[in-house]
Amino acid sequence: MYRYWKKRFKTTLEQDEELEAIKKELKKLVKKKFGGSLAIRMVDSGSCNACEAECNALSNPYYNLEELGIHFVASPRHADVMFLSGVMTFNMYHHAIDCYNQIPSPKWVIAIGDCVKDLGVFEKTYAIKGNSIEVTHYIPNCPPSPKDIIAGFLEFAREV
Amino acid sequence: MRLIARFAQELQNGIEIVDVYDKETQKSLLSFDNLKIGTLTKKYPSAIWMERKISDEFGVEFIDSFDTRPLLKHEHFPSDIYPLRKNFNATEINFSEYKPYDYEAIGGDGVFQVAVGPIHAGIIEPGHFQFSQAGEEILHLEIRHFYKYRAIEKMCEGKEPMAIKKIVERISGNESVAYQVAFVDILAQASGIELPTSIKQKYATLLEVERIIHHLTDIGFIANDVGFAPALALGGKLSEEARRVFAKITGHRFGFGAIKEELTIDFGSLIEFLNYLEKELEFFRDWIYDIPSVWDRFDTTGKLSVRKAIKYGVVGVGARASGVKVDARDNDFYKNFGYQMQLGKKGEVSDRFKLRFNEIFNSIEMIKNFETYDNEGFEFGEFKDGEYSAFTESSIGELFMYLKIKNGLVDRFFVRDPSFINWQAFHTTIYKDIIADFPLINKSFDLSYAGSDL
Ligand code: SF4
Repeated sequence: MYRYWKKRFKTTLEQDEELEAIKKELKKLVKKKFGGSLAIRMVDSGSCNACEAECNALSNPYYNLEELGIHFVASPRHADVMFLSGVMTFNMYHHAIDCYNQIPSPKWVIAIGDCVKDLGVFEKTYAIKGNSIEVTHYIPNCPPSPKDIIAGFLEFAREV
Repeated sequence: MRLIARFAQELQNGIEIVDVYDKETQKSLLSFDNLKIGTLTKKYPSAIWMERKISDEFGVEFIDSFDTRPLLKHEHFPSDIYPLRKNFNATEINFSEYKPYDYEAIGGDGVFQVAVGPIHAGIIEPGHFQFSQAGEEILHLEIRHFYKYRAIEKMCEGKEPMAIKKIVERISGNESVAYQVAFVDILAQASGIELPTSIKQKYATLLEVERIIHHLTDIGFIANDVGFAPALALGGKLSEEARRVFAKITGHRFGFGAIKEELTIDFGSLIEFLNYLEKELEFFRDWIYDIPSVWDRFDTTGKLSVRKAIKYGVVGVGARASGVKVDARDNDFYKNFGYQMQLGKKGEVSDRFKLRFNEIFNSIEMIKNFETYDNEGFEFGEFKDGEYSAFTESSIGELFMYLKIKNGLVDRFFVRDPSFINWQAFHTTIYKDIIADFPLINKSFDLSYAGSDL
């Protein structure tokens, strides 16, 4: 069975030199600055879900973020970094801040997508508060592609 | 009759309640000094959220309704404002004092509550699930949403119809093309034009590609939820490849902005990819259909009975997997291009899983028939005042959209996402299961939070 699968899954992945270079540097930085392991807690504060879909895509075989020592974790208490997406709705406001407060220091916030920064294409309504959590690094675009996110992550890792 | 939506809009002389059924639409006008109307919830349980939403937004009271708790107005939301009324124009409100929400809960010896959310363990949208448990067994589940409530409807009011397109295409990222197709359909009606057939074929093509991507992602994730990770790797790989092809033909990985007046699709490379995908998928299916430990978990889990599916008016994948024939594509246009309704039998996780495979195969076949090199475009004329509505079959299910134009501007915009209905039937599927099955059942429906919350 194992041999059958191995043969069958010898599928080819299109190589992206640029991405590989980014990942190589990022892996080094994660090792140097974060002891080889960095945990992310994803919080959606009112997105359209495309930003989440791209973050999910980070673990598909094309991007394979986990091999760099970067993991998405289930609890803020296990996290070093918060990924924040969405417009920060009135109804999510307290929950998002609560989550941020549960992350032990030192901690950093990376904003995923245009919504967090300036609501993107959306406009202020009574149901939208807008983000007030201090953001360490913005990754723009609507949504940022997985490659944008990894590249943005590298910029963040260089800065901190 | 199947209830599709119940929503309200403010007119000069009162609040109008609009009831949309599959066979007809009924309207009732309530005068401002007596905002009361009978409930539909006894006959149509999925009217519960619809009515609670209208109460929150307009202050209408539903006589004899058994659930009058707030829906959109969460713990800190001021209860004395009715934001969808025309005299409400604030874009900023203050948090009011915390008012606890009265969850549906079962009491008794040894029965305990498990509160899940709004922020979840994985990379998922926020929503709350309140379980009443007797050990591992689920006694009751209340789903509470609208954490992502952005007031999209209000945001669109007072703008020129074209100006809200960029908002409409970002209501629910996974269904963007479906939202755009419905919206363009409405605009075409409003300017009194008929879309050229070749354009319709191209729109339908993009809609099917969107469906393929969504189904591929789900196939991987559903299997992952029973601990079968290799399927996630393969599903993730295939959906990424499909998304890249989608980005090539639309200029965007989610097809934002793809549905335009003029559109060329490189069918050659699309079909080349689909031929490859078909082979990969045949392998995927033969492989996973043969792994008993996966089906041990899929079979008999999360059963949505035909009776409940009909009673709640469930749509889309959820309905068809239970054998209920609802699909907005069930018409001559689609049938001419090879559409065949895929149906499951029992409404279990396994049915929904298989249905996704079958639908992808059918979508591939249709796209091959949609191939066209006709470059006919069209132009919107002036948008005439009036009320317009449209249906599309998104990757989740039937999407209903409504737009009222007054003095050339949007007076009311409303959408009923398929998820809005299906979420309400969800709790009926878990009573024979244990709490550990919940993520699996949830994923097998894969409903949208953003589209439902608006
Ligand atoms: S930035 Fe764009 S893709 Fe991301 S949540 Fe906002 S609208 Fe969606």
